[in-house]
Amino acid sequence: MTAVAPHFDAVIHPSPRLQICGLLAAVDTMEFATVRDRVDVSDSVLSKHVKQLEEAGYVKVSKATVASRQRTSLSLTKEGRRAFDAHVAELRRIAGL
Amino acid sequence: MTAADRQRAAADQLAGLQADREALADRILQPWWYDVALGLLLFGFLASYAFDSPWVTVPAFVLFAAGLGALVAAYRRITGVWIGTPTRAMVLWGGIVLVVLVPALVLAEAYDQRWAMVVAGAVLGVTVGVLSRVWMRAYVAELRSPR
Repeated sequence: MTAVAPHFDAVIHPSPRLQICGLLAAVDTMEFATVRDRVDVSDSVLSKHVKQLEEAGYVKVSKATVASRQRTSLSLTKEGRRAFDAHVAELRRIAGL
Repeated sequence: MTAADRQRAAADQLAGLQADREALADRILQPWWYDVALGLLLFGFLASYAFDSPWVTVPAFVLFAAGLGALVAAYRRITGVWIGTPTRAMVLWGGIVLVVLVPALVLAEAYDQRWAMVVAGAVLGVTVGVLSRVWMRAYVAELRSPR
């Protein structure tokens, strides 16, 4: 991982949003349902957190119709990756790692 | 909140992130048939050039493209994620394709040795299957190692 300057990010900090960003940071895209199951929240709660991350420009939401079913996938934007890496660096600094 | 509390909270959050990466590592490795199908699709397409007929090559290309689409869809459905190929792996793959395919095309087109495309298809088919598995295993190991 490239060294980044530690920076606390209030948008990412709440536990579910940190977890969402952590999951998305490891992949290109992740299905909404997969994120929901891992974060262990309802659809509506996840939607609320995703909306906040989307408004901050950190997450991109894509919808596609596959076999007449709508699938929603999530991905981190470049800005989201930068902010997440900086926030993790700040956590590591605080934790003394 | 004391400094010690903040330190513990930060360490807990980092541990949670690592747990998620490890859980993700458990689900992203493609099934064995994915790599076999990928190799067979590429072999079929390249080997079709041996027939020297668009009536074979064009349907083979359509089958190849449709098969790739089906594999991507299956992977996404099974794992719930998509992970792109890293640049270094694409560069390596591009180099291998050039080294194998250019001589085979020269043999096939300039010297009418059509069998060369069957050999090139076999070599590249096996290589893409092996590289796909090796790269994904390396990424799984990376996810499991502490960040």
